[in-house]
Amino acid sequence: MLTISGVFAGYGGGDVLQGLDLHVPTGAITCIVGPNGAGKSTVLRVVSGLLKPRLGTIELDGTRLDQLGCAGVLAKGVAQVPQSQALFPQMSIRENVLLGGYTLRRDKTLLNKRYDHVSELIPIVAERSNDKAGNLSGGQRRMVEIARCLMVDPSVLLLDEPSLGLDPKSLTGVSQLVRDANAAGTTVLLVEQNVRLGLSMATHGVVLEGGRVRLEAPAGELMANPEVAELYLGGHASESRTARVSGASLPADTGSGR
Amino acid sequence: MTQLVQALALGLLIGGVYALMASGLTLIFGVMNIINVAHGALLILVAFITWRIWSLTDIDPILLSIVMTPLMFGFGWLLYKGVLSRISGSSPGMSVLLTFGIAITIEGVLNVTAGNRFRSATPSYFSESYRVFGISLPKAQVFGCLAAVLVLGLLYIVLARTWTGRAIRATAQNSSGAALVGIQAGSVAALAFAIGTATTGVGGSILSVLYPFFPASHYDWISRLLGIIVLGGMGSLAGALVGAIILGLAETLTATYGSLQWSTLIFYGVIMVVLLFRPQGLFGSRLRQDVMA
Repeated sequence: MLTISGVFAGYGGGDVLQGLDLHVPTGAITCIVGPNGAGKSTVLRVVSGLLKPRLGTIELDGTRLDQLGCAGVLAKGVAQVPQSQALFPQMSIRENVLLGGYTLRRDKTLLNKRYDHVSELIPIVAERSNDKAGNLSGGQRRMVEIARCLMVDPSVLLLDEPSLGLDPKSLTGVSQLVRDANAAGTTVLLVEQNVRLGLSMATHGVVLEGGRVRLEAPAGELMANPEVAELYLGGHASESRTARVSGASLPADTGSGR
Repeated sequence: MTQLVQALALGLLIGGVYALMASGLTLIFGVMNIINVAHGALLILVAFITWRIWSLTDIDPILLSIVMTPLMFGFGWLLYKGVLSRISGSSPGMSVLLTFGIAITIEGVLNVTAGNRFRSATPSYFSESYRVFGISLPKAQVFGCLAAVLVLGLLYIVLARTWTGRAIRATAQNSSGAALVGIQAGSVAALAFAIGTATTGVGGSILSVLYPFFPASHYDWISRLLGIIVLGGMGSLAGALVGAIILGLAETLTATYGSLQWSTLIFYGVIMVVLLFRPQGLFGSRLRQDVMA
């Protein structure tokens, strides 16, 4: 269980997160939705250690994460795929993915084992291993970013806007990958502008507003919630049920969360 | 024809040495966005120490770089941890102010301790040359270039094949991406600064033989080296190499077919023309404006 308690955090101009309390159940896919500026990405940044909270605590199964910094959080098995580009553009795909295992660099056997596993799971890693990451399309980059995270075999995977800038086909691939990782035991916490897509992938949903949790419920319930439907799904709660069934094959632009 | 080949050969020899001197500067900028204006002063500092040891013991000055390189590595590490780490996250402009202060301090210390006079190490082979196919290659320049190429090769291997090198390149290409895979920016920065400074251990030793110098010579050197990395693209090692060779060739070709006074002017002319068409330098990548902090 990942527990965020009473977290205040921001970027110097006031707090974006204002006393956030959030529980992320182990083994679930939890999706955070909410309007622009609600602090969705900031939640992920404080968990991964990119941003230090001003107040409050973050715990993973009883271990404090909030003072560890990125490398320390990663060592506890929490890996993040950020919103904007995270790859090293002038390096090969292979090197990018291998760098995901930077913290394992002393154990060569494990590193190679993980690399083989990841390249089997995500074919593009093997297919384009010698291409520079800067030459990939948005969807391919997202795949490689996830592959890089999987190198540490994370217990918690943080995904910031996995649908951003992806075409429907890449989107299907990425969401399948997230489901596979989850099925293999990884807890997933994701942030999504495309509310319909995000909630259809998730088991739990969280609505964030003004840096605090406004609603927290199983994803299906949240989709059916008239208020959520009104605010984020274009006012058609019933339609969201069909969306859930057809899953990630929906085009990226159906979300009306912006 | 022989004259042309002679000029080209000399230009390449000098270019190799320039490349080594510029490599440390561009590495430090690439990883930390620090414009290390003290790089020239560090070269002159090493040149003075090398000259002093040579004049007392007669040990070969270029060979002395074997001692000076680890020393400068340590000095660079201390300089980063003690001074430069305090401005990490500030603008490159701040780093210019700080390292300019360091340069002036080194210059002042050298003025007091070593005297404000021209020095030059002149080992026994100083005025000898190799003759290959009718062109003459001064031994000092050949040894200097060989040492430079050797160190550049080592630097390449470290950057391309070791985890330290990968961490340095990763930080240079995408610092928040590097943080997310567990690379600690502070220690990588200290290492990169130390490695960049270590190159002055070899560069300064070579300089003591090839060029007469005095404490304020560092102004000449830093402007030349900055010119090289601006031409090649700030932060690019390949760019530093190409920029250095262009400067070396521009100098020897102008000196051969025109006059020595014009050689520097020609180089800056080349820089201006290149920047008109490629503002990011020959090998530079355009700075992304959307990178998150």
